Amino acid sequence: MDLLHNVAYGFGVAMQPLNLLYCFFGVLIGTLVGVLPGLGPAAAIALLLPATFKFTPVAATIMLSGIFYGAMYGGSTTSILVNIPGEAASVVTCLDGHQMALKGRAGPALGIAAFGSFIAGTFSVIALTVVGPLLANLALAFGPPEYFSLMIVGITVLTFLSSASMLRALMMAGVGLIISAVGMDTISGQFRFTFGIDGLLDGIGVVPVAMGLFGISEVLLNLETEIKREILATRVKNLFPSLRDWALSIWAIVRGSLLGFFLGIIPGGGAVIASFASYAIEKRISKHPGEFGKGAIQGVAGPEAANNAAAGGSFIPLLTLGIPANPVMAILLGALMIHGLQPGPLLMQTAPDLFWGTIVSMYMGNGMLLVLNLPLIPLWVKVLKVPYYLLYPLILLFCMIGAYSLQNNTADMIMMLVFGILGFLMKKFRYEGAPLILALVLGQKLETSLRRSLIMSFGDFSIFVSRPISLAFLLIAFALVILPIITQRNKLAALEEESQI
Amino acid sequence: MGKADRISGTFWFLFSVFVGYHSYRLGLGTLRMPGPGFLFFWTAIFIAVLSLIDMGRSLKEAREEAKAGTAGRSNVTKVVLVVLSLFLYVVLIERLGFVLVTLLLFLFLLAVIERKKWSFAVVVSVIVTALSYLVFEAALKSQLPKGLLGSLQF
Repeated sequence: MDLLHNVAYGFGVAMQPLNLLYCFFGVLIGTLVGVLPGLGPAAAIALLLPATFKFTPVAATIMLSGIFYGAMYGGSTTSILVNIPGEAASVVTCLDGHQMALKGRAGPALGIAAFGSFIAGTFSVIALTVVGPLLANLALAFGPPEYFSLMIVGITVLTFLSSASMLRALMMAGVGLIISAVGMDTISGQFRFTFGIDGLLDGIGVVPVAMGLFGISEVLLNLETEIKREILATRVKNLFPSLRDWALSIWAIVRGSLLGFFLGIIPGGGAVIASFASYAIEKRISKHPGEFGKGAIQGVAGPEAANNAAAGGSFIPLLTLGIPANPVMAILLGALMIHGLQPGPLLMQTAPDLFWGTIVSMYMGNGMLLVLNLPLIPLWVKVLKVPYYLLYPLILLFCMIGAYSLQNNTADMIMMLVFGILGFLMKKFRYEGAPLILALVLGQKLETSLRRSLIMSFGDFSIFVSRPISLAFLLIAFALVILPIITQRNKLAALEEESQI
Repeated sequence: MGKADRISGTFWFLFSVFVGYHSYRLGLGTLRMPGPGFLFFWTAIFIAVLSLIDMGRSLKEAREEAKAGTAGRSNVTKVVLVVLSLFLYVVLIERLGFVLVTLLLFLFLLAVIERKKWSFAVVVSVIVTALSYLVFEAALKSQLPKGLLGSLQF
């Protein structure tokens, strides 16, 4: 009954005209961001964050959240029509989605992506409604050792699932941790790594780093190697999938929803991982795996459902534990803190309007997205035709305005540009930015949890393994680090055996 | 990529030595009362070890790299010019104001970098500057710097 009461309360908050309007703006901007290659939800949220300072915390959270899950919908449009993913979670959709388009089936591909996203998004919000409060209650039993161990799992999961080298991902996580130390130590009051620079006394903010690493660096990369975009010339028609399409896709959507939701909850997991995992699973269990890569509709339905379900699932650790599951949630965490809120187990009690209002707004946001994505496809196609030489100066301008607006000084702009250059070089040298930004966000809390745990235990590290929940988390992290090494060794051993035969 | 990996590995190794040194100076404290440099000292050591392992791996790739051809030329000059223009934007924004500097930035990017016609660049720059001013300054009250035009009460 409590749950129903809370959901009803959430409806009361989300249905307020202003909140509905911000939800609409958020999903619209999110779809646009998803459609446009080169600008992902992380950069978009970071850019618009300063603009939300004038809003109420509820309205700001609703709008910024809408951008995130809206981008998951929009990304499939460019993947299918242009074979360039609008954002990272739609990379996999290119494989079969564009092939379907080349065969004259762009409509059903876009349709199943939209419907699959709607079903998965709705499922994940319902699951969030049920699981969120349970996890929040469980989290009340967490102490510094549990928080420390959970954050170690989060960083380890992200590095384990890193598409590049896990070793390099761990290095970047370490770098992010060090960057988080810049500024004042909250326990001793000492300044760390400021080197007399006034601009560093307040530390290095997540938002300028995110805008630099994900926004500026992406533009610089696109400038360096110009991508030719060939938009499908044929008219997109028949957006509603046939009965046969539904028969082929429905179980892929169900599996994608479940997989995506659980991968979204784990810190370090998320939409990108979920979409890849879903594609791999669908291909593996399909009776006709050879069709994948040539226009198999399950190859669109499953990953698109997974990435949307993951988007919903990733709100759970943020809202209930105060731990961001991925870089986008990290920026959202920054946004909530700027608005004076402390995400965590007590958020449900201290800000029930924000907690339940945001969750319920996601129901409505999913409905709006279904309406936006199908009939407005011709509009998104027109947007895609905007030449990049007009687009990138606008993106750069928005980044500069966004960075300046954070504290009305140029220090954040310089920080953003420095990290933009760093992000560009990191991509050229094959290092990923996601572990860095996650560690940057978690860094202060991780360090504080570690030091508090050691103070509690009088310097005894066994506190992390003597408490069952903390031990469980650390075992997961250990397994994730060891597993690739064991797998690698087994592969080498198998290769040696073969060569001897 | 072997040579590139060695360069980046060396950079991160030197970075970790730098951080480790300064973390030590901050004070490691004791296990019962860890100091402000404790976690970061050990993180620096961790990064140093990983960078050495990474450099070791790249030595294997160096042999394969010698056989592969060089990659095609990329547009690095464009990237450098854009970055320099953005730094200049930051330096000048509070002196000249948002409106002037944005106009100049767009003119530079469209006419010089992208080599579009000056008439086109001027028209687009004026429209974008005006619209962004209206949206961010007038509507969202972002308090962007007024600079030289401040006295004109724009």
